Amino acid sequence: MPSNRDGVEPSSFRDPSGSVFYSEGRVLRCLDAKGAADWKALSATRFLPRMMSDGRVVHTSETSANDLPDLRNEPVAVLEHERIPFISYPYEWTFGMLRAAAILHLEVVLAALEEGFTTKDGYAFNIQFRGSAPVFIDIGSFEPVGAGGPWVGYRQFCQTMLYPLMVEAYLGIPFQRILRGHLEGIDTNEMRRMLGPLASLRKGVLKHVVIHDMLTAKVDTASQATRSSLATEGAGTEIAKASVSKLLAVVRSLSSPRAESVWADYRTTCSYTDEDTEAKTLFIESVLEELTPPLVFDLGCNDGRFSQQASVHAQQVVAVDFDPLVVDNFFRDMRETRSPQNVIPLVQDLTDPSPARGWRGRERKAFFDRERPDLVMALALVHHLSIGANIPLAEVVDFLASLTDDLIVEFVEPHDPMAQRLLSNKPEGTHDDYRTDLFEKLLEERCEIKASQRLPGGSRRLYHAKPRSRADDQ
Amino acid sequence: MSVLAYLDPASGSLIAATVAGGMAGVGVAVKSMWRNRTARFRKSDPSGAPVNDQDTSEADVSVDSAVEYAAQDDI
Repeated sequence: MPSNRDGVEPSSFRDPSGSVFYSEGRVLRCLDAKGAADWKALSATRFLPRMMSDGRVVHTSETSANDLPDLRNEPVAVLEHERIPFISYPYEWTFGMLRAAAILHLEVVLAALEEGFTTKDGYAFNIQFRGSAPVFIDIGSFEPVGAGGPWVGYRQFCQTMLYPLMVEAYLGIPFQRILRGHLEGIDTNEMRRMLGPLASLRKGVLKHVVIHDMLTAKVDTASQATRSSLATEGAGTEIAKASVSKLLAVVRSLSSPRAESVWADYRTTCSYTDEDTEAKTLFIESVLEELTPPLVFDLGCNDGRFSQQASVHAQQVVAVDFDPLVVDNFFRDMRETRSPQNVIPLVQDLTDPSPARGWRGRERKAFFDRERPDLVMALALVHHLSIGANIPLAEVVDFLASLTDDLIVEFVEPHDPMAQRLLSNKPEGTHDDYRTDLFEKLLEERCEIKASQRLPGGSRRLYHAKPRSRADDQ
Repeated sequence: MSVLAYLDPASGSLIAATVAGGMAGVGVAVKSMWRNRTARFRKSDPSGAPVNDQDTSEADVSVDSAVEYAAQDDI
């Protein structure tokens, strides 16, 4: 599996006490004197090793390394973190994933507060996923509570985790596009306006949105002075614990009210026969057995059936679909069945994939710039891109061939009921290029076709193709 | 850039986090903070004429009541 390029992690520059960098595939964090002192105290706690061993906090140990990157202050210690197989961002998660991430973040803060630590922030990006399990990765965020006072990550937690969850739970609006547009999340005032006055009756809104917004607008003392005043008034660590516990209760109470997705029952309404499914499974199995690919992308994963199949042979599978409800169903299935933790389900619209975001467009990488997959599975996807999204067939084949060294692609022929359903929405003649012979010609021009098979139902074809430029290099 | 850009919105959030923790009496701290705010407005009035801060006071009372309510109830 390809590793991140050596050098400083582009999103790790705001914390003056430490910085994450990569060296020969290792994920390292160098710390200045303050960061090193905080780590020393942190590593003596009980909660940190406990949460590392049960996987809730990224495994971290002190190490040494050469070629340390420049910090604002002199680096005095180096930590090594366990590598997260595929980096994802909150705007690619489902409701269930963001909720699980929010719960974990609050649990981590509560555990830290019990032992005199807190986190400097409450950012959704502090969490990553290992399969369907969230993991807290920002070790540099821990610091001693000092004089106590409320949790300083509260605002960021509300903006990047609580409010997006409320948007979906209380308004039925998917949060992904909003979070993708605003890396700092939803502002308190925007959230209050979105929810409207009636929503004040919903759990957590009056306290965490309305009052929060009123105070944000009213109070203009500097935040350090506010912390001192609150400490003088007696707002100690107990207050932080109480507010985090209450936040946890609110987050746990939230659920998505969205209607069943049109894809949620895809397996029962699609045009496969049992023979088709069996033949398709065998074809995919033979390619997986031959390649044992380290990293697989399953594009248009639907219920994740074939992602799960790939996970038996791959180190890591990234399973994406454009429908958040379908992906959420897959995520919940994985949680309930305790599936192997090497499949990460993500929301991704392939016609508008996650772009590069943040400072200088480098903080958050574009989806297809993070890792190069060793195998791409595009099963029953081409007709959606070509007919559904009006992308010329040649463009679709170019796109798929550009992604990987090996490709399993399924072509749903024009007479298949599912293709017919899409074609019936379009004016006649719009998709005359959607033909099996043209698809094969385009694929052959770009790839060496290693194997192909028509499924017994007679309306779908599978191909194992090696993109030509790569195949020629070998 | 607006003068508002120099304000630190985190202050309101710190108090909100304290309210969310159910701390009784936090209203006292809050009150003193926005009293400072209205006092500064009075000082900065260039005409020297008394400032009618009736609207602000009413708003303060409503925020104060809401804060007290939110701090005391599990809502």
